[in-house]
Order: sequence, then structure tokens, then C-alpha cells
Amino acid sequence: MRHALRVIGAEAFKQHRRIFGGPLVVFSMLIWPVLQLATTYYTMLPLLETPGIGQRWPVAAEPVRLLAFLAAGAFAYMFYFSLVQSAWHFSFERISGTMELLFLSPASRFALVLANGTGALVQNTWLAGCFAVAAASASGSLHVAHPGMYAVAALALVIPAVVWGTFLNSLLLFSRDSAFLYTLLDDPLWFVAGVRLPLFAMPFAIKAIGLAFPLTSSLAVLRGALLDAESLSGVAGPLGLLGILCLLLVAGTAALLRIGEARAQRTGSMQLY
Amino acid sequence: MTSAIATYDLCKTYPVVERPWWKPGKPLRAAPAVDGLSLRIPAGQVTGLLGLNGAGKTTTIRMLATLLRPTSGRATVDDLDLVKDAREVRRRINMIAGGERMVYARLTARENLWYFGQLYDVPKAQLKARIAELLALVGLEHATDQRVERYSKGMRQRLSIARGLINRPAYLLLDEPTLGLDAPIARDLRAVVAELARDGVGVLLTSHYLAEVEQLCADIFVIAAGRLVARGTPAELTALAERRHTVEVTLAAPVDDVDHAVGTLAMRTGAQLTTGVDDELRPRYTLRHSADLAGELATTIVTAGGAITRLEVTPPTLEDAVIALADAAPEPSVVGS
Repeated sequence: MRHALRVIGAEAFKQHRRIFGGPLVVFSMLIWPVLQLATTYYTMLPLLETPGIGQRWPVAAEPVRLLAFLAAGAFAYMFYFSLVQSAWHFSFERISGTMELLFLSPASRFALVLANGTGALVQNTWLAGCFAVAAASASGSLHVAHPGMYAVAALALVIPAVVWGTFLNSLLLFSRDSAFLYTLLDDPLWFVAGVRLPLFAMPFAIKAIGLAFPLTSSLAVLRGALLDAESLSGVAGPLGLLGILCLLLVAGTAALLRIGEARAQRTGSMQLY
Repeated sequence: MTSAIATYDLCKTYPVVERPWWKPGKPLRAAPAVDGLSLRIPAGQVTGLLGLNGAGKTTTIRMLATLLRPTSGRATVDDLDLVKDAREVRRRINMIAGGERMVYARLTARENLWYFGQLYDVPKAQLKARIAELLALVGLEHATDQRVERYSKGMRQRLSIARGLINRPAYLLLDEPTLGLDAPIARDLRAVVAELARDGVGVLLTSHYLAEVEQLCADIFVIAAGRLVARGTPAELTALAERRHTVEVTLAAPVDDVDHAVGTLAMRTGAQLTTGVDDELRPRYTLRHSADLAGELATTIVTAGGAITRLEVTPPTLEDAVIALADAAPEPSVVGS
């Protein structure tokens, strides 16, 4: 455990030195999401004039609530997408020749992929996190049932995101042809997870696909706890689903690491790129 | 406990063409890269692994580094099984390969070594001193806090060497470590390797610079097509290069008795004789033999009335031996202990 913690610290430091303050992070993790949020908001704003929309979707009754809904979606999406980006970066270690050094060492493979995801999350989202907290406080759009729900919302966002990142790292690390995930987990994820639209407005099939991604349930908890003053029991459903998804993703990560390393040892593909 | 890396009938076959994932099953075709290799790399000694390109040297090293899994056979490091005890084996070994890709370009030298020190769980109290010691060893003290992306190729390779030593490995696997290095840096590296062996580290070295192998290795394994074809000290292996002592003599003018005498000498000693003329049409005799026949040939020619204008002796080299062995049948030819 002590060694695993050292590995996590080292990997997080490496992430910090490699990506902290880079223009890619600033643009893709702050400026681009803010622009997307503005586009979405001003696209949807005219819908507020639709008669009776407030009854079907109460959020749409007030522009501030709609903005808070969309901003929560964009913020949570950014958490998850930062991990897609991190996993994509991590897969470049194969090309740079450093991947086999990681596997040459006695470091826990799980700790490595976990640390890489965690490190990337912190490096990529601290700026937008500060921005979001400041914006939410200033706009007065937060409606929280209990102060403890801040912690519930934060944990429901951070823990599944880290687990998601760990899973993606293990997937992309051993696959040379998974770059399509970068595209697949961008706009399509934005759509199916209910980032822009409430899940109830989606067809059943899209809803089912969306629920397979932890972002969907993280968003439900985040919005419920911070915007709709839901209590713990009110978000128990998505929390339970998040727990199940996290367990599945952890199990999937462990299996992928085991299978991926064994395959690379069998085929010699660790040095191919 | 045996302080050595040992392999027993080690085999590695790469699946060359794999079935697509939706058609699981055995690989369609396979190419053996290492075929029944049994080696012993003891602690405190530099052991060479030689062979031509594609002989299986890198595959062997990568198996010993746990980056590849043997298809069959077994390997142990201090009696620890390479596959079952892989994690403990990784603590005891390290690998340095030629090229400069094995470090992080955006980190400084110090940060790179710190990072790998953490991965190898080097005790915190020792890590700082170890980093300083290694940077001094490879002559990078002046650039410790400079990002590696600003380093020259030689500096990167030196840092890569320092990285390979961060965990004080009991066994060091060196795969062409001086590839692309300037002569003075390569010389310094050889000194480091020799020093490590004196300190008890077991080193396995592959290199295309055979003078380097000859200088460092007490014991050499020669492999071809993944199989062991010879083993011995550099001198023993060089002696295997039959008829590689070449003596070439040029005479001032043709003498019939010399022709006869040299032919008799070749027949008596079993040397390979080639006759010809040089650019000025003067007679030339070339004798190839495992022993140096220069003196005997000169005496024979002079006694027969010939006048020697030029005599050149080329001793056999380790390179001759490796080429000869690689060309020969793949049956193991084990010499020495």
C-alpha cells in the first residue's frame, strides 16, 4: 500500500510536469467548454418562450435555472472528458518508449493507471472547478437541502470520474487502435449523458445507453443535490447505480490490465506503435 | 540460493499473424525467435550474448526483463521464477537499451530519476543521495535541472543509464547500451559496467561493438536462429574461428621451388592455401590456419630461394568467430566451463 501511494504521488507529479498550465488544457478544459455552454444556452433560450414548457420541464421556467442546469452538465462533462484526454495522452507512452519502463518496474499497474487518471483530473479541472464554484456562488443558483450534500455531490462526481479514467487508461494503454474513443466519448457522450437535455426527454434506447456511463448518474446527483435541493434519499437511485458502475469499472480495469499485459508479453506488442 | 540468472530450454515464439478478436483461437502462423536456450548469468561478472541480427538476443533480454513471456522453458533470477515471481524479479533487475527514448522529455534529469526511484520503491532516505550519485556517475551534474528535451542524444543515453541503475539492480540487462554514443562516452560506460561487475552485479551485455564485448565479458554465449551455438571466453571463441589466422606473403619474383615448398607446407599443416599475383604481377601466397604460420612460411620461402617483399599477418577476431559460428550448423558447440 505504501509503495502504491508512492507510485500515485510520482505519477501525479509526472502529470503535473507534463500538462500543467499547457495551452491545450486551458483551451480544451476551460475556454472550449465555456464557449460550448454559451452556444447551448443561447440556442435553447428561445425555447423558454414555448407555452407550457415550465410544466413539462421546470428548469426551463427561468433562464438562471436553465443556465445552472447546463453549466452543471458542462462542468461534470469536463471532468469526464479530461480523463478521456488523459488516457489518450497516456497511450502515447507506447510511442515515446516509456511504457515498457513502467512495466519493467515492480510498480502496481493498477496504481499507475489510477494515479494517471487522478493526476490528470486535478491538473485539468482545478481551473474550471474554481471558476464553477465562483460562478455558482455569485449567481445564487444553488439550492441545497443540507450542507453535507455538497460533499455527496463532490464525491459523486470525483470518485466515478477517477474510476472512469482508470478504466480508460487501461483500455487505451494496451490498444493501438482505440483512438476512436476520443471522438466517440466527446460529442456522443455529451448527448447520451444528458449534458444538454434532461434525460426524460430522450428516447428509451438513448436513456439506456446513457445510464451505462457514470457521467449520467453523476450529473443526476450533482443537479439533484446542488440545484434541486434533493436529500440523500432523493439521489439514492443514481448513487446506487454509480456504485454498481464503479464496481464494474474497477473489475473491468483489473481484468484489462491483466489481459492486456499478458497479451503484450505474449505478442511483444509493448514496443510496437 | 543460486546467485545467478539461469534459463532452461527457454523458447519464445511470436504469433506473427493473429486471428481477429471475433475469431478466437490459436495464431495462424508462428515464428520461433528463441529456441531452447539455456544460459547462466552469474552475479559479479559481465556475460556476453552475441549473434547476428535476428538471432534472438533482444527477445532473450526482454524475456529476462519480464517484458515478454516465454512460450516454454523456464528462467530464474536468484531461484525466483521469472513468471510466477515476476514482481520480485523486477525489483532485482533493470534493463538499459540503446537509443535515447527511455526517459521523459518534459522532466528534468533529477525528476526522471526521482520518478523511477518512486516506482522502484527506493527508500526515501536514500533516494536523494542515490540520484546525486548517479548523475555524477554519468557526468550530468551540470544539467540536473534542465529539461531532458534540451539534452543531446548522448546526454539522454547517459540519463537512461542512470535510470537503469536507480534500484541498485542485482542484475543489469544491457541491450546495445553504447549504440550511437561517442567514443569517450562509450568508454566511460564500459568503465561503469566493469565497476558494477566488480561490485557484484551480474551483467548481460549484447553489443555489435565486439571489441567492447571482448574487453568486458568473462563468458560469452553465441546464438544463431534463437539457438545456442557456442559458449566460452573471448579467447576460446576466437580460437573456434578456424583458419582465420591469415598470413599473406608477396615475393619479388616467381620461383618454382617456392611454389612446391609452400604447397608442401600447406598440405602438412592442413592450412588453406590461395595463390595469386598482386597489382605488379608479383606472386602472392595466402595461408589460412587456426595457428599463426608466419614464421614457418617465411623460413620455407627463404630456404627455397624466394625473396619476400611483403608479409602481413591478420589474427582471428571475435567477429570472425561469431560470423563463422552463425554460418555454421545450429548444433550447439559448447566450449569452456
